[in-house]
Amino acid sequence: MVFIVIAILCFLLQMIAPWWVIIVVAFVTCGIIGKTGKIAFWQSFFAIFLLWIGYSLFKSLPNDNLLASRVAAMTGVKLWWILLLITGLISGLVAGISGYCGYHFRMAMLAKKTDDKIA
Amino acid sequence: MMNKLKALFCIIIPIGLAFLFNTKIGSAPPVLKFLNPFMGFWQNAENNHFMFNHKVKIKGAIDNIEIVFDDKMIPHIFAQNDHDLYLAQGYVTAMHRLWQMDFLTRFAAGRISEVVVSEPARESDRYQRRMGMVYGAEKSLKGMMVDPKSKEMLLAYTEGINAYIKTLSHSNYPIEYKILDFKPENWTPLKCALLLKQMSAVLAMGSDEFYMTNILEKFGPEITKDLFPDYPYKEDPIIPVGTKWNFSPLPIPKTPESFIAAQTGDVRTKEKVEGIGSNNWALSGSKTASGFPILANDPHLELSLPSIWYQIQLHAPGINTYGVSLPGAPGIIIGFNQKIAWGVTNVAADVLDFYQVKFKDSSHHEYWYNNKWNRTTKRLEVIKIRGSKDLIDTVFYTHQGPVVYLQKANFAKAGNVPVGDALRWIAHDESNELMTFYYLNRGKNYDDYKKALTHYTAPAQNFVFASVDNDIAITPNGKFPLKWKNQGKFILDGTDPAYDWHGWIPAAHNPTVKNPPRGFVSSANQSSTDQSYPYYLNWEFAPYERGKRINDRLGAMNKATMDSIRLMQTDNYSILAQNLLPTVIPILNTDHLNATQKEALSYLAKWNKRYDADEIGASVFEIWTKRLAFDIWDDEFTVKGVPMRYPSRDRTVEMILKEPAARWYDNVNTSQKETLSDLVIEAFKYSCDSLERRFGPINKDWRWSNVKQTNVPHLAKIPGFGSKVLQIGGAKSTINAISETNGPSWRMVIELGKNPKGHGVYPGGQSGNPGSKFYDNMIDTWAIGQLYDLLYMQTPDDESGKIISRLKISK
Repeated sequence: MVFIVIAILCFLLQMIAPWWVIIVVAFVTCGIIGKTGKIAFWQSFFAIFLLWIGYSLFKSLPNDNLLASRVAAMTGVKLWWILLLITGLISGLVAGISGYCGYHFRMAMLAKKTDDKIA
Repeated sequence: MMNKLKALFCIIIPIGLAFLFNTKIGSAPPVLKFLNPFMGFWQNAENNHFMFNHKVKIKGAIDNIEIVFDDKMIPHIFAQNDHDLYLAQGYVTAMHRLWQMDFLTRFAAGRISEVVVSEPARESDRYQRRMGMVYGAEKSLKGMMVDPKSKEMLLAYTEGINAYIKTLSHSNYPIEYKILDFKPENWTPLKCALLLKQMSAVLAMGSDEFYMTNILEKFGPEITKDLFPDYPYKEDPIIPVGTKWNFSPLPIPKTPESFIAAQTGDVRTKEKVEGIGSNNWALSGSKTASGFPILANDPHLELSLPSIWYQIQLHAPGINTYGVSLPGAPGIIIGFNQKIAWGVTNVAADVLDFYQVKFKDSSHHEYWYNNKWNRTTKRLEVIKIRGSKDLIDTVFYTHQGPVVYLQKANFAKAGNVPVGDALRWIAHDESNELMTFYYLNRGKNYDDYKKALTHYTAPAQNFVFASVDNDIAITPNGKFPLKWKNQGKFILDGTDPAYDWHGWIPAAHNPTVKNPPRGFVSSANQSSTDQSYPYYLNWEFAPYERGKRINDRLGAMNKATMDSIRLMQTDNYSILAQNLLPTVIPILNTDHLNATQKEALSYLAKWNKRYDADEIGASVFEIWTKRLAFDIWDDEFTVKGVPMRYPSRDRTVEMILKEPAARWYDNVNTSQKETLSDLVIEAFKYSCDSLERRFGPINKDWRWSNVKQTNVPHLAKIPGFGSKVLQIGGAKSTINAISETNGPSWRMVIELGKNPKGHGVYPGGQSGNPGSKFYDNMIDTWAIGQLYDLLYMQTPDDESGKIISRLKISK
């Protein structure tokens, strides 16, 4: 569920919003419907990993990866598909961490409420 | 408490990540902003397989405009009036080259620090400002706004560029903006002026007078005159020897009696780089197969991607012209129309001089001139630096121009330096070069050509011309100061009015020749005239070898076709080798040589004197002769703290051929006495040994193209965005003057006739986007010396060529 929500929301929002909406979306989504920390991390990770890789390919394949190869040479990673993987891994990691933080933020707030009640 | 802390961390970490990956760190772009496929660099990957037609509305357009893109993405603009024509030119040029023109004008204006933070960037900005680039551009702009025609050109062109910029959002900014993390800014007419000034800076900013003054001080007038003569030993001038001057010259200003070089401050400008290497020529119909003239031009520059030039066809009532434009300036610089064709090469006229200034005190508010104290003017240059405080730089101007202080790191302390030199440079004068191109683009005949040239100031160019009426002509043209002989060979005295420029050589007295009996005209940056020309232009021009080879070949040519001319543009034959080899080869005695050196000598003996890609002899010869010049001159002319230059190649060759006992062969740093033979042998061994160290015993790797490593780098030297190494021939002293990164930035051959036929290529492509297949698609054709047929359309529906897309602009 987290996976689908993040992937769709990010796909739509990124048409107009800067890249860091993935952080907001992952955080909020997991903060509301995240079931466990593990799920929050991995589903956020894969949602963005696949979304970014997929959309990169959508732009890059009709270009015969001409630009990606040049940028790969610029950054020193040499091969365009390594650059593609890096794109997916970093963005996925950032989303995963954000989702994980979102989930634990809710947990912390809930725990705080219970603490307050007990007190 | 624990939970509060945990909640806090859960908020801080994501925000921290957002900052971390959204910030430019060092020279690396903001990582995720850059990698984001929705707005980052992936968006710059253009679809290679589908092209679409587009429509846009631009408020400022007067009428409908149609732009047709041919199969090399070259735009052909069809407009109903001049305004729309230049508006559309601005629009498409920005569409393909926005970053390039933005970056170049920022560079010209000394504004790189706004984008890139580094010491070299700051130094470059200071240099540009202190040399008066912005000052010159402002004056030039004033000149361009006076004439309503050039004013319209500038304003419409600017409007077009800005209309394009308005359509952009972050996702479609050119990729270099994303790498360097900055934004396009609106275009202004001043930027056009800056761009043209930058051309002057590239072609006419070199200056040797500081070196020459040091040489004069060290060696005295006699040796200086002997080693740096006022006219070359071998020459084949642009205006054929014996051409009569059909004007009565103005009186030449008198050489002041006090003409001795003054002491000088530590100012350094860059040394004149030898022969940017441009060629142009035109053959009269009497020498061509078609009976109509053929014109050829290949302007040589420091090559870069995106391509220096932008091909375009401009069609509107009264104009239908095709050629190359400079991204950032309206009109066509080199090209043709239905009736005429024209091209340019650089003239090394001396239009930049330094004056020794005597200041009253360290405030620099007053300077001594004409026997009284005069006030300097102050210009504050504010250099904005990304992420830190502005740098404010004060430049003092005398009536000659800006006083350029120390350029090096200790510039901040320049206030302690009591004397500086004032720069008098033609590019600081009001001018309007645009009108020259306005008239050439619409020109019909020789008279139109002559009229167009009168509007031109700088950088001075050899304008070659041919018309369908079978007229050919060439004119070293520009606004030339009226000088006494050798004025500006050394640093000038800034206190005495006799040292000022004394007005101008009238435009009608510029050297020119029309339809010479030999049936062709040509130029290759060499001396403009023989010694009978009454005015002083400069004491030194580019060496004569290329000009000589061109004239030899054209002289022998009959029934020329486009192919014979094309092959000439890629001619690698070295006149230098022809002149030197018969003298230096016999000096090499095989007894002293090792096996590799002997083998190299046999290659050299068999060498056809062509710098072709596969020639091993060329590699050996090139390094050998460079080293020989070093061996001869370095011991005397390299002195720490006293920058000087070597005598010219021409003088060196003359000495080797005619003065075997000259004192200069002796290395003054050794006790024994060296002779020419010693140096020739040393240099030869050095050449072979250095090649052997690099590539091992003689093998295929010794071939000239591999030694030379020609390539076309990206304008901002971004790795991966340049070309691969090209295995091609050519060398400085040949017509095909290609060095590592310097070479023909455009090759063009025009066959005039009922319908003109154009052929051309540049090392790059139309698009400035490294993610477009049109970024470098012409490089291989350029490298093998082929040309494309240029599509010269008569109407937007002309079906003679392949059209890949259309852009319609309406109000």
